[in-house]
Amino acid sequence: MSGVFFLAWRYLLWHRWKTVILLLAVTLVIYVPLGLQLLVQQTATDMTARADRSPLLLGGRGSPLELVLNSLYFSAGLPPALNYGQVDELRASGLVKPIPLYVRFQSQGHPIVGTNLDYFAFRGLPIAAGRQMVSLGEAVIGARVAERLGIGAGESIVSSPESVFDLAGVYPLKMQVVGVLASAYSQDDNAIFVDVKTAWVIQGLGHGHQDLAQPESAASVLKKDGDRIVANAALVQYNEITADNIDSFHFHGDSDHNPLTAILPVPADDKAGVLIQGRYQSHPQLQIVQPRAIIDELLDTVFAVQRYVLVAMALVGVATAAVVLLVFLLSLRARRAEMDTMSRLGGSRVAIGSLMLAEIVIVLLASVLLAALLTGATLIWGGPLLQAVVMN
Amino acid sequence: MITITDLRFQYSGSDFALQVEQLVIAAAQSVAIVGPSGSGKTTLLNLLAGVLLPDRGQVRVGNEIVSALNDNARRNFRIRQMGMVFQNFELLEYLSVLDNILLPLRIGSGLEATGELRSRAVELAGHVGIGDKLKRYPNQLSQGERQRVAVSRALLLQPALVLADEPTGNLDPSNKTVVLDLLLDYARTHSATLITVTHDQELLPRFDRVVDFRVLNQWEPTV
Repeated sequence: MSGVFFLAWRYLLWHRWKTVILLLAVTLVIYVPLGLQLLVQQTATDMTARADRSPLLLGGRGSPLELVLNSLYFSAGLPPALNYGQVDELRASGLVKPIPLYVRFQSQGHPIVGTNLDYFAFRGLPIAAGRQMVSLGEAVIGARVAERLGIGAGESIVSSPESVFDLAGVYPLKMQVVGVLASAYSQDDNAIFVDVKTAWVIQGLGHGHQDLAQPESAASVLKKDGDRIVANAALVQYNEITADNIDSFHFHGDSDHNPLTAILPVPADDKAGVLIQGRYQSHPQLQIVQPRAIIDELLDTVFAVQRYVLVAMALVGVATAAVVLLVFLLSLRARRAEMDTMSRLGGSRVAIGSLMLAEIVIVLLASVLLAALLTGATLIWGGPLLQAVVMN
Repeated sequence: MITITDLRFQYSGSDFALQVEQLVIAAAQSVAIVGPSGSGKTTLLNLLAGVLLPDRGQVRVGNEIVSALNDNARRNFRIRQMGMVFQNFELLEYLSVLDNILLPLRIGSGLEATGELRSRAVELAGHVGIGDKLKRYPNQLSQGERQRVAVSRALLLQPALVLADEPTGNLDPSNKTVVLDLLLDYARTHSATLITVTHDQELLPRFDRVVDFRVLNQWEPTV
C-alpha cells in the first residue's frame, strides 16, 4: 500500500492548487464548527468559573449584566455608581466581607481596578515579583499587562485620559508599579490594580498641590481671607504621587460619598448570603445579583446563536462534501486513461482502485491535522477575543 | 514459446472479430506484426497480455495458459513476465522519470521498490541515454526521451516477453532506430521474446520474423 500512497502523494503535489483548494475547503468545514463549539465551551467555562467564584455583587440599580461584566470581567461598560459608604454599611452588618471595586479608568487598553488588599486574598492572586501596593499612587499589575507592556516592578504606568478633548476632564496620573501578579489565567492578568483612593485621585476627587502656606508658593496665591487661601491658575498640581508630595494629597468632602462601580460582598456562609440578598432585594437605588445566574442568561443567548451557526455550517459541510465528491468523480473520469495504463501494465486491481481513495485519505488527514492546529490556535488566542465580543 | 490456438475474440456490439487458428512464436524470437490500421493487431497484443480474454481458444505463454488465469493472476503474470510499450508512451505526468520507470513496483501486487531495483532503474535510464534526466517530468522531455522512459519501465523487471504496440509510431527517424535498437538489444541479451506491432516497413528486416496480420486473422465479415 505504501506504493499507492506514494503515487497519491505525488499526484496531489503535482496538482497542488487543486489540492490546496480541497484541503482548505475540507479544513474549514471541520474547523469552523469544531473550533466554534470548543471556543464557546471554553469561554463559557471560563466565564462561569469566574462567576461561580463571585457569589454576590452589589451595585447601583440598572443593568445587572453590565454590573457583572464590569465587575468580574472589567469590560468597558460603566454601571451606575454606588457610594463608598455602602462598604461600611455591609461591613457593619457582620454578614459579609465587602470588597470595593471601582472599574472605570484604563491605561494603554488595560482596565485600572480600584480595590483593596482583600481582593487579592479573595481571588487568590499572589505577587510574583515586587511587593503588594501599600500606599496611594502605587499599582500592582497583572501578568499579561507586564508581558504586553514590557514593564515590571520599579517602573511606572500612566492612566489614560477619558477624553483628550475635555480640558476639564480627568488628567493622567503617573503610578508607580510596585508588583507583578503571578499569572492567574483570568481577567486579573489583564488588569492594573490600585487602591480605590488612587482611582479617585485619577478621577480628580482627590489631588495634591503646592502648599500655599509656604512662602515659595506666594506666586500661586490669588487672595487670602484669614485661614482661607484661594489659589490662582499658576498653582502646580501633581500628576504623580511620590514620597515627597504624598502628604499634600487630600480629598475634599466625605469619602463615603465617593463612587464605586460595585462591591463584592463575600458572605461568611450561605445563610449570610441569603440574608444580605434579602436586605437589598427591594432597595430603590441598589441591586444585589448572583453573577452565575446573570452569566447563565448571557450564555443561553450565546448558545442559541451558536446552534444556528452550527446548523448553517452543517449545511455548508454537506454542500462542500458534495462538491469534493464531484471533484473526485470528475477526476476519476479524467484519469481513466491513467488507470487503463496501470491496468495494462499489470497493476493490481486493489492498488489501482485504492489510488484515489488514498488521495482522499491524505486530503482528509491533512485537513483534520490542519483543523486541529487551527482549533488549538483558536483556543489559545481566540478565547480572549470571543470573551471580548461576548462582553461587548 | 508463445502459442495461440483456435482463438476467437469479438468486441461486444461490434461486427469485427479476431480469429486465429494457430500462431506459434519461439522463445527469444523477435516478431513484427504488420497490417492495416484497425485490423486488430493491438487486440491481439491485449489478448497475449491477458488484458482481454478470448471468447474461445487458448493463449499460452511459456508454461502458463494466460487465457485460463483469473484476473488477479493475469495481472500478476503480466507485471512480472511481460513488458509493455505503447505508441503514446503512457507515462504519468505527475511522476519523475525515475518514478515512472519504477511505476510497476508501486502498483504490482507484492512488489516493492527495493534498493536493488532502484539501482537497476537508474542503470537502465543510463543505458537508454536519459540517466541525467531522472528528476525531470514527462512534460520536460522530448518524444524520443519519453519513449525511452517507457522502454525502461517495460524492461525494469527483466520480462521474458516484451509487447510493443507501435513503439516508434510517434518518433522521428533517429529516435525510431534508437528505440528499436534498445528493444532488440534487450531481447537478444536476455533471450526474451519481442512482439512488436508496426507499420514501419523500413524496420521489418531487423526482426527475426514478420507476421502479416491479414493472413493471420482468418475472420471474414459476413455479407
